[in-house]
Amino acid sequence: MIRRIACKEVIENLVSLRFSLSLLLIVSLFAVCGYVSADGYRELSRDYWTRTNENLGALRGQAGALYRVAFYGQEIYRKPKLLSICAEGDEKSLPNFFRVTAFTADLPRVKGRASSALFQFSSLDWVLIISLILSFAAMMFTYDSICGEKEDGTLRLVLANTIPRHQVLLGKYLGAMITVTIPLVAGMLVSLIIVLSSREVFFDAAAWSRSLSIACLSLLYLSLFVLLGLVVSSRTGRSANAMAILLLVWVASVILLPSLCGIVFEISHREPAAAEPKPGDGLWQWSLQARNEPTPAELQRRLAEVAKEMWDNNEKFGKHAGYMSNDVNDPGNNPPARARLQNAVTEARNEVLEDYHNRLLAQAFGRRNWACLSPAVVYQRAAEALAGTGIHRCVRLYRQVKRYGADLKEFVRSQDLEDPRSLHLIGPENSMAVSWRAISHNPVDFDVIPKFQEQDFTLGESLRLAVLDIGLLLLLNLGLFAGAFLSFLRYDVR
Amino acid sequence: MIWKIAQREFLLNLMTFKFVVGAVACAVLTAVFMPILAADYRQRLETYSADVARNEAELRSVKVYRNITPTVYRPPAVLSAFSGGLEKQLVGEAKIELDQVPELTVTERKGNPYLPVLSVCDESLIFKIVVSVLALLVAYDAIAGEREQGTLRLILSGVTARRQVLLGKLLAGMMTLGVPVIIAFVTALVILLRSPSVALGGAEWARLGLMFLASLGFTLVMYQVGLLFSCLAHRSAASMVLGLFAWILFAIVVPNAGVHLATRLRPLGPQEEKDSRIEAIRESLAQELGAVKVDYSAVERFQKSGDGDAFGGWYEKLIDQGWLDAERRDNASAVPIRVRYADRLWDVEHQALAAFFRQRSLANWLCRISPISTYENVMALLAGTDLTSFQHFIDRVRAHRSQMVEYIRQKTDNFSSASFLAGCTEQDAAEATRLFQQEEQAQDDAGKASIKDTRETWWKRKMAQTTPPLGLQDFPWFQYRPSLARDLQQAVPDLLGLVVANVVLFGMCLAAFARYDVR
Repeated sequence: MIRRIACKEVIENLVSLRFSLSLLLIVSLFAVCGYVSADGYRELSRDYWTRTNENLGALRGQAGALYRVAFYGQEIYRKPKLLSICAEGDEKSLPNFFRVTAFTADLPRVKGRASSALFQFSSLDWVLIISLILSFAAMMFTYDSICGEKEDGTLRLVLANTIPRHQVLLGKYLGAMITVTIPLVAGMLVSLIIVLSSREVFFDAAAWSRSLSIACLSLLYLSLFVLLGLVVSSRTGRSANAMAILLLVWVASVILLPSLCGIVFEISHREPAAAEPKPGDGLWQWSLQARNEPTPAELQRRLAEVAKEMWDNNEKFGKHAGYMSNDVNDPGNNPPARARLQNAVTEARNEVLEDYHNRLLAQAFGRRNWACLSPAVVYQRAAEALAGTGIHRCVRLYRQVKRYGADLKEFVRSQDLEDPRSLHLIGPENSMAVSWRAISHNPVDFDVIPKFQEQDFTLGESLRLAVLDIGLLLLLNLGLFAGAFLSFLRYDVR
Repeated sequence: MIWKIAQREFLLNLMTFKFVVGAVACAVLTAVFMPILAADYRQRLETYSADVARNEAELRSVKVYRNITPTVYRPPAVLSAFSGGLEKQLVGEAKIELDQVPELTVTERKGNPYLPVLSVCDESLIFKIVVSVLALLVAYDAIAGEREQGTLRLILSGVTARRQVLLGKLLAGMMTLGVPVIIAFVTALVILLRSPSVALGGAEWARLGLMFLASLGFTLVMYQVGLLFSCLAHRSAASMVLGLFAWILFAIVVPNAGVHLATRLRPLGPQEEKDSRIEAIRESLAQELGAVKVDYSAVERFQKSGDGDAFGGWYEKLIDQGWLDAERRDNASAVPIRVRYADRLWDVEHQALAAFFRQRSLANWLCRISPISTYENVMALLAGTDLTSFQHFIDRVRAHRSQMVEYIRQKTDNFSSASFLAGCTEQDAAEATRLFQQEEQAQDDAGKASIKDTRETWWKRKMAQTTPPLGLQDFPWFQYRPSLARDLQQAVPDLLGLVVANVVLFGMCLAAFARYDVR
């Protein structure tokens, strides 16, 4: 019986105006999305490969001497992802540039041609279409499914038979879900076809399974709105009223709530700006290194503080650690102590950077958690995780870049051991390496230098990141279903 | 007759469920949004005042002219609570320096790069989203609904002309939707004015008045869109579906598509191109500076000691004549070159920015298909938070910088006076040199030692004295007030657009209703 009701619902929906309108709108949006993303992906890939090759070329130029490899600041860019067609996850505004030497990695930065001021909404991707437009369509299919039938008088007829109410409800739910699935699947297929038919684009098995899981996730999210429609429809007597309530709920949860949560978070977490180090307070000369780059005042101050502390107590790393002249035979020099001191300073600096970076992340994740009152944001986060894009990927990439820096240091250390003329003091001071030969000056084979290679999330890891959000969506679904069930049981069909 | 229809329709609308829900939602949402927005404004104002005060204090304590490098800030707009515009996305501050001309940065964001670009949250969001939906909901069954109930036949069987009926409906819509608009505005204003940091001047009230009119005009446009569909469709359900899809198009599809289309049609050049041009200019600057040959070897003794100054600068507290003269010659030729190159560097930045502005204006034009985007534009312009207000600010900053450069040039005799770099007077410098020369010319060791002693005591005594700050009595302080006339001029096309849209839509409604089959 459920099947029959579902069939009837689907057929009725299929011939309705709202279905044809939404199918038209959604499929054309998906098509545009496919076209735009394929184009954007091509452009970004081109940029990415030119820059990566430039970086490798420059690294090859440094291979003439081992110490130059260690000190060369490699420029690593974030690789564009094809799956950003599904969920771009603010990739345009997230950091995409990392500079790393064997000793330290700068904070991630944003570089490139995208201008953030022009994008009011996030980019055009599946998630945007589904979370805003398909969810709206899903509501439109169910707002009158109970009270509309009551108005027509057909609900009485149905319930006058032996069909239990829960079967009617399930049938209607299934019918609406099938109706929603049609534009979803059609749209996804169209956009995939457009993407795949363009040159330079390949979809591997992992990408297929990821897009499939995003499709399932989307169904879960859309089911939320179908159920919401059923709940409201079975609590109101007139379909026009149901529509008004649904629109309000939709607007509030999908559009207003994310913005509101954002601003509330901003107000509650605004920190007073720290003052930059000034000449008077003794930190100034230590902050000169940080001043060359756009560094926030607070970070400048903390970097200067640790540097000052280290240099003030330089004697504890050995005699004359604070002194250096270019002649290695100068008795005032103490190379091992100097190297210890410089390593300690860099380590302390790295710790400050790490700490600062962690605070940035805590802020960003806090903001995300605030916004998860809205199901649209929950869905967006889960889709981002499944597609392997967004903030998690950035964080992981930065971690990998840092690990790569450490690997490079190990590599330099092992190569350095082969040179008998080197002092074997792997320290982050360039002049030490140049004039004392603290690190070997021998050429290295470019092919054996480790190169940076990003490791993507495996599907399992992505799922683990998304599991909380998926659970949240499931819970919401169950709650709404229970709500729909209870209110329909008590619905007055007269 | 028109009035009677309007009255009846108005009363009927007031009693509908959808109207109550919509109006209550407007009031409640405003009551939730406004305190948060007011708190946000207060915080931003506090930050701004602290920044400005800090800069002023530093300016008052600056000791030499070359260290006058203040930062100026754009005050947050009071009405940003009504329309946030780009206030949170663009950087509203600029550093005033001799060798750099400030320009708007649109590609870089300050602060945490992991935070997503904020979707704007303001009072106009409620109008854009909630009131516009309400307008469609009120309008969708105005004609088609009456046909379904059979009352349309009755009305038209009398002597009432169709245009009268339509005008009556329009009037009723205006009155009905005026209620939530007024409620929202009044609630917002009451909450905003209760916040102690908010003070509204005459210009702000004028802006608010215009915002109110724009909101009414926009709501009417949305109502007429609904009315048009109601005149076109036979069944009210169909007219509602059409109206809501039109809304989705206007609210979500058009603004996004406009921006995407604009970025495709007028793409920005890669940043590397700009960077390489800047690099080339910097190189030629370095060449020209290298050509400035000042003979420091003529300086007999390099004697100077300095201290930190305001804005992270450095000044020479005591300096001998030879050193001072060499520095003065150096500055007199090098600083004008730097100032000149600042303009050339700015030129490159400005050209790159012009490309962005072209893209932006194209996007704006494309988005004007949607009344929601037009309305958003008008509100941001009137609130003084859109891109042009930032342009205006940066223009003023540039004017301020040239004033300041001119001021320093005059005060320091074309960057060549001692006060440009040193806190001591020329007499002190001459005295230092004289003592040195005495010491050198002394015949025996005992005489040398005694003069050295005098010199060192003198030097110490001078160093112990605090250098007085410049004072800057006649300094051209930075003043910025957003200009109402300018914003109005910018807003006129969009305001007119709303009026025209209203007229055109009414014409279309008339045409559609004239041919409407009432059976």
